[in-house]
This record gives sequence, structure tokens and C-alpha cells, in this order.
Amino acid sequence: MPHIDRREFLKLVGAGSVGAGAGFVLRESIKHPTEYLIPHVVAPEDYSTGVATWYNSVCSMCAAGCGISVRIREGRAKKIEGNPSHPVNQGRLCALGQSGLHALYNPDRLTGPMQQTAVRGSGAFEQITWEEGLSKVAGRLDLLTAAGRGNRVCLLSQGVRGHLAQLFEQFMGQMGSERLLYYDFDHPHTLYAANQRFFGEQYLPYYDLKNSRFLLSFGADFLGGWISPVHHSLGYGDSRQGRPYVRGRFIQIEPRMSLSGAAADEWIAARPGTEGFLALGLAHHIVSGGLYRGTDRDSWEAVLADYTVDETAARTGVAAETITSLAESFFNTSHSLAIGAGNHTNGTDTLVAVNALNYLAGNLGRVGGVIFNPAPAAGTVSHRHQASYRTMLDLAEDARQGNIEVLIINGTNPVFNLPLAAAFREALEKIPLIVSLSSFMDETTALADVVLPSHTYLESWGDDFPEPGVGFTTGAVSQPVVTPLYNTRATGDIILGLAQQSGLGDAIPWASMEERLKEGWRRIYERSDPDTGMDGFEEFWMSVVRAGVWGETTRRALGFTLDPAVIDSIGMQPPEFSGSGDDYPFILHPYLSTTLHDGRAANLPWMQELPDPLTSVVYGSWVEINPATARQMNLTEGDLVDIESPHGQIRAPVFVFPAIMPDVVAMPIGQGHSEYGRYAKDRGANPIQILGPQLEPYTGGLATSATRVKIVATGRRVELVKTGGNTRELGRNIVPTAAATTSGGYNAQLNSIPIKVIST
Amino acid sequence: MNVSIVPALRVLKPAALICAALLVGVVVGYWANAAFLPGTAPEQPIAFSHKVHAADNEIPCQYCHTQADNSISAGVPSVAKCVGCHNEVSTERPQIRRLLDYWNNQEPIPWIKVHDLPDFVHFTHKRHVLADIECQTCHGPVETMDRIQLTSRAMGGGVQHSSWQMGLCLDCHKQHEVENGLDCWTCHK
Repeated sequence: MPHIDRREFLKLVGAGSVGAGAGFVLRESIKHPTEYLIPHVVAPEDYSTGVATWYNSVCSMCAAGCGISVRIREGRAKKIEGNPSHPVNQGRLCALGQSGLHALYNPDRLTGPMQQTAVRGSGAFEQITWEEGLSKVAGRLDLLTAAGRGNRVCLLSQGVRGHLAQLFEQFMGQMGSERLLYYDFDHPHTLYAANQRFFGEQYLPYYDLKNSRFLLSFGADFLGGWISPVHHSLGYGDSRQGRPYVRGRFIQIEPRMSLSGAAADEWIAARPGTEGFLALGLAHHIVSGGLYRGTDRDSWEAVLADYTVDETAARTGVAAETITSLAESFFNTSHSLAIGAGNHTNGTDTLVAVNALNYLAGNLGRVGGVIFNPAPAAGTVSHRHQASYRTMLDLAEDARQGNIEVLIINGTNPVFNLPLAAAFREALEKIPLIVSLSSFMDETTALADVVLPSHTYLESWGDDFPEPGVGFTTGAVSQPVVTPLYNTRATGDIILGLAQQSGLGDAIPWASMEERLKEGWRRIYERSDPDTGMDGFEEFWMSVVRAGVWGETTRRALGFTLDPAVIDSIGMQPPEFSGSGDDYPFILHPYLSTTLHDGRAANLPWMQELPDPLTSVVYGSWVEINPATARQMNLTEGDLVDIESPHGQIRAPVFVFPAIMPDVVAMPIGQGHSEYGRYAKDRGANPIQILGPQLEPYTGGLATSATRVKIVATGRRVELVKTGGNTRELGRNIVPTAAATTSGGYNAQLNSIPIKVIST
Repeated sequence: MNVSIVPALRVLKPAALICAALLVGVVVGYWANAAFLPGTAPEQPIAFSHKVHAADNEIPCQYCHTQADNSISAGVPSVAKCVGCHNEVSTERPQIRRLLDYWNNQEPIPWIKVHDLPDFVHFTHKRHVLADIECQTCHGPVETMDRIQLTSRAMGGGVQHSSWQMGLCLDCHKQHEVENGLDCWTCHK
């Protein structure tokens, strides 16, 4: 036994005690934290804890109108999938649709009505009650209506369809205002105009990609953001792989390779804005080359006389032999189909030329081509009220003149989605009362005096009649799948509330949007086939709500007869650009981001985090520059450059992108918000801002690809955040490849860059 | 020259002793915490007795835990369910008064969770109940407990000082030859 003196003993006891304390604390600290089992006070009848329920509804993240099934557990939305019964998306859903949850649960949502307490844009808001908010607005509306100045009220909404659109029309009609406007940056004005002119149709037709065997796309990024991406992706998939022994051929013509271009068999870069000339060049070869033998051949020959193959080759930069072979295979393939997006100052003419190509190849009104849609069962098509750029300029001018006294904004964000040249923000200053019904504090809502926030679509009643339709009559009811999270109201209910409080209650008597909806659907029920086996309206209504979709199989007769007068209206004007080629050597090609769309999805973290499919960049903006151009300008990836147009300048890092023409630079739309919540704010740049005010003459729509810019290096660099290390395969033989076919002209310049085309 | 480390060790001896005492202390402290404060039978907001309900009055488990056969969770009865009986039964007892207080205030009872699995384990009551696994297999002899406590038959019915371990699941899955019962993603998905 070693000798331990008193001091030693005390030391040991001390050490032991400290150790015991430490041991005690150690175990205490690694214990599970206390968890609670909180029961319901009264058990809900419509769910069991831990058991998922799926509710069908309609997606509102873009204008396509896909059907969704939402997985609900314990009353909370957990997952959004496509509704398999819905003919538009057939069970599929894009990333934007799936991220609807991030709109619902977004931490930056507006949680209740507010009013601006200081100067506009200061961000100083105070919470008010719904009664205060509604009476404040309704009082003003009441005064204006009573004085017969209802036309000084403008309702500026995102595009809506169905019975909400009817309610808007009734509300504005009762007030005596014609200023019911929808503004969507991505609304295809030229497509409607061209179809109206060529087909005499006021609705978009159904493009039957699924049954086509040769798809020729003039810049329509139908796999990315063009009108109905999920449906067209499905059709594309079926065209390529859905039929035994047939693989549809697909050629994409555009100055910058889009997601669709990357999926094409052949990607052809025609000079920006000359796509219509190319279409007419093809038409010329089809007619003059003796392929087309219709009775109106002579009229066609006359109108196409100037668009010879050589002339077209010189104008578009596409080699003559490519034009002739394209024309021949387009004409000779049964079930060919041409589609297009007209983003230049000659957009309508371009799409009319595309329609002409379809006509000559016999694709109109037939399976595998263009099929005409029946009129929607109820409501209106949003196009009737869609405001073109010209209309928005008129609205801004009216506001400056003091002719607009109340502006009600619903879900659209014109301050972000209009070029600075429109001076829309300044015009808003002149409007005495701005009311926003947005769910988020976006750039336009920040300027509002009163904010009456709407539910998200997952919390409200609504319905939709998809546009473009699917060839037969279809509609869908959108039901609330969760109890509203905050003190918000459905857009329809806000309008009904305003109507009641401003003395329009007699003409607009419904107590709620749900009631309005049921009345509308009762009419559809009464009109519809009596042999549906439904026992009364209630059963019909429940079955529609439960299925999430309703349809009638009646189609319009196939076939198409052309009004001969249309032929004479065919012709192309060269595209016009904002800015001279000497000062501004590049054409800016802004495109709808596959993830952020027109900027509406920038506040959704999943969408910010989802890599762009072609560049793999996340969380930011970039400007795509051809490698040869970049080399010439001594730029590499990550170099910050100023992109200057005659109308403004923005800053973004360079992304060297091999599949873009050397004199074109491209930027995704969607970033560059100065408001719109923590995920969107102060991130990247907004190319819409610097667009020149170039109008498409027939529609008054903004020609979005008609601005010239210059690129000025700033000497600063940033690291681009992206998931892909390299755009090249680097000889790893990951995919079996074939060399890209090139077509001379601009494409010849690309020839030096070894682009590889995946061929499966 | 002889070199010895003994002098150096002699200097270190007091320090070594102190370290040893510290270590023994840690073990004792840890053990004492585990033995006297196991946390496996916490005091609940209402002293609900499973013995009185399940044994003395022979109420079947699923009368209250209604979802055990159709959901991943067995379900805690709503306050309304308790009050359904206790509006009439034993209304004057102090614990029942506490229950009625919650009901009158329309507040849920904050029961403390005893049986807990980590979030990375996907366990579903439905499958186990439908396979005729008795509740007691995992939850122990609940019908004997006045206060619910964490036990395990795998531990001989005694108090188990840690929460459930994976071995418990695997033993049973092996014994019953559960299809895919040993695959990782059966439970970890």
C-alpha cells in the first residue's frame, strides 16, 4: 500500500468527485431529448395519423394547367405528383410543378393583409384586418363606380382561365371598366396571332407531337418552357420511343441550343430572326421543286417567288443543300409537323410561314400534325385579355395622365417582367391606390398601398380549362388540399368581398368562390351528356373533384380548308433590332429558364438549387458566349462582364457555351430580383431590364430577342457555382457519339468546336 | 552508464493516481445517472395507468390505439376519446379531474414519448400488427405497468437502459424468416 498523505488523499477525492460529476453530466448530455406525443383534442374525421391521403387538384405554377395529386399527411401537403387521369400531363409533372410545396411553405409568404405606412417602396407595412383592407379598397371603388368613373379601375392579373376569369369579367363589367388585363411575360402573342390569321382560330391548336414522324421546330423550346412543357415532353418521348420500328426525326432551328435543341437529331443555327425566311425557303422548294401539287399551287408559287433556296441560304446562313434536303424530307415524310416561337419583330410572319409549311406538307387537321381544339367548356381563354407590351405602354401612359385611380394587381409582377424602357415603375407612382393580391412581396407588391394576400393554389378553390387543349373538351377543378396556413384569402373570395362591399353584391351575389364554381359546373353538368350515369349534380361534382379532371371525348372533325386570301398575306420582313450593329455587336437571346421560368420561381429554393440542364449552373445568372468569341475577347468562364444595351446594363459572369452562334449571347430569365423573398433577392441579373422596346407589329408584343448588346469586361472574376465539371466528354467514351451535322455559314464557324451529339 | 526510468515514473505517480481517480469517478457518475435516472419511465402529465385500463378492466389495446392496424403509428387517443368514458367513469378522482381540466380548456395532453425510434428507422405498426405480433413483444408487459416504461423482452423483461437497438429487430426478423427482413432498405429508406 503506497503511502498517501493528507494532501494526496484530498487531491484524489477531489479528482474522483470531479470525475463523477463529469460522468453524470456526460450521460445526461447523451440522453434523448424529451419528445412529446401530442394527441388531438378531438380526432379529425378525414384522416388517420400516419396514413397518407391523395387529393387531386390543378397546378398553377405555369400556364399549362397540368393535373396534380398531392400527398397529404396529418393535414399537411408532403408531395406533389402528376394526376395520371389528366390528359395534359398524364401522371407526369415537371420540377416547377413539384416545387409548388415551396410556394406553400415559403417562409417569405405574406401572412395577412397590410397597408403601406411610409413612402412606396420603403417596405414599411403594418398589419391590418381583412375588414379594414377590403373596406379601404371597396370605398374607393364604390366612389368611382357611383361617379361613373369605373373605367379608372384596372385589374392587372396573371393569366387566369375558367370561372375565376368569368368572375373577373363580371366584376370589372359591373364596375364599368374595360381595363381587365392579364400580363404574362411568356404569353405567346405571336402564336395566337399567326393561328388567327392562318387558321381563323382563336384558340391554340393541339400539336400532335406524339404521332409525328418528322418534327421541325423553329426555336420552340417545347421541352423547356414553351406553352405546355410536360405534355410536349410526353409527346416527344412517344414520338421517339413509343412506337415499334418508328423513331420520329426531330430537327431544331435556333441560334442558341436549348434543352430541346440538345435533344434534337440535328441542331441548325439560322441567323437570329430569319427562321421565317428559312420556313418560306423550304416552302419555296416544296412548291417550285414540284413536290406540292395542290390546286392552289400557282398562288403559292407567286407568293414564294422571292424566297428562292439561294436567296434563303444567303439570308439565313444555312447551306442551300441543307434547305433542299430538309424541304424534301419534310414534305415526303408522312406525319411531319413544324412548330415555332416568334420572338423577333417578325414573329407573327414567322409563325404564319411555319403554318404555311404545315399546310403545304398536308399536316393541318390531321393526326400527327396540327389538330384544332374545341372551344373551352366554360370560362374564357386568357388570351382575350392578355396585355401585349403595347397595351402595357398604353396603361403606363394612362397612369401618367392620371386616368388610372385604382390598380388591382393579382399574381403578376410587371415591375420585374417589363423592360426598364417601359418606365412602368415610374408610371405606378402616379396611381393613387395600388392594391396587390400577391402571396409574396414581389417588386410590384412592394409598391402597393394595400396588400390583400391570396392563398396559394394549394389552399384555394378554382378550375381550369387547359390552353392549349388536348384535342377534346377537358376541364379540371382545383380543390384546396390543405387548410390555409395563414390569414390569407382565395383570389376569388377577395374579389367577391370587394364586390359586396362596393355595392355590386346584387349582380355578383355569390358568398364564396366555391359557390361560384359549383354554379358554373352545374351548367357544365346540365349541358353535358345525360348518359354519364351520374345521379344528379352533387354526384357529378364530387366525382369531378375527386378525379381532378373532367372531359368529353367529342373532337372536332379533322381536315382543314385554307381561305385562299391567306396565301397573299404570306411574306417576311427582315428582323429589326434595338441598337446598331457597330456599337452593339451581339444579339441578346434571353430565354425562359428551365427552372425559374419567367422569374416567378426564383423564390423557390428547390428551383434555385436545380442545375440548369445545359450549363449545370445553380443559384445565379450567367451569360453564354461562343468559345471563339470568348477567345477573341480574352474571356474565360467566370469573368464578370457588363452586358450593355441602348437601354441599360446588367452584370453577369461568362459561361463559355459551345452551342451558340458567335455573334449571339444568351442569358436565362428569372434572376435579378430586388424583392421577392430571401431566396430570390439580390441574386444574379435580369436580362428583361435591358431589352429594347422592339414591338412585333401585329400583336404589339415585345420582341424579346431583338436587342443588340455589347460585352464589356470588368476585369473581375467570380466562381460560377455549377455541378458539372466540364461540358466535354474528354474522351471518356461515356456515351456513343456521332459528329454533329453542320450546315455551313455560321455552323461552319462552329465546326472547329467538337460538339458531340448524343445518338441513342 | 545505467539509465533508469524509475525516477521519472516516481514523479509521475501522483499524476497517474489522480487520473485513475478521475476515471473511476467518471464511470461511477455515469453509472449512477443510468441507474437512478434512467429516463425510461418519465412522470407523465397525468398518472395514466395501463394496468388499470388494460389488465383490471380488460380494455383491448386497439380500443384506444385505434390506428395500429392501418397506419405507421399506433395513434394516441384524442382527449375527446378519454373524456368519452370519463364523463361517466370515476369523475371525482384527482387524475380524472386533471384530464377534465385539459378537456374543458380544449388543450391536448402533452404525453412524454417513451417508445421512440430514431428518425432514420422506418417502422410501421400496421405490418407488425397484421402479422399478429403482440404489442408486448416490443412494448413489454404494458398491462402490468402503472407508469409506462421502456422494457424489452429481449432484455428478459427487465428495464432496458438504452433505447431499442437494431439487434432486437433483426433477431425477430430472422426468427420469423421475414421476407426481405434483413435488407437494409426494409427499415432504412
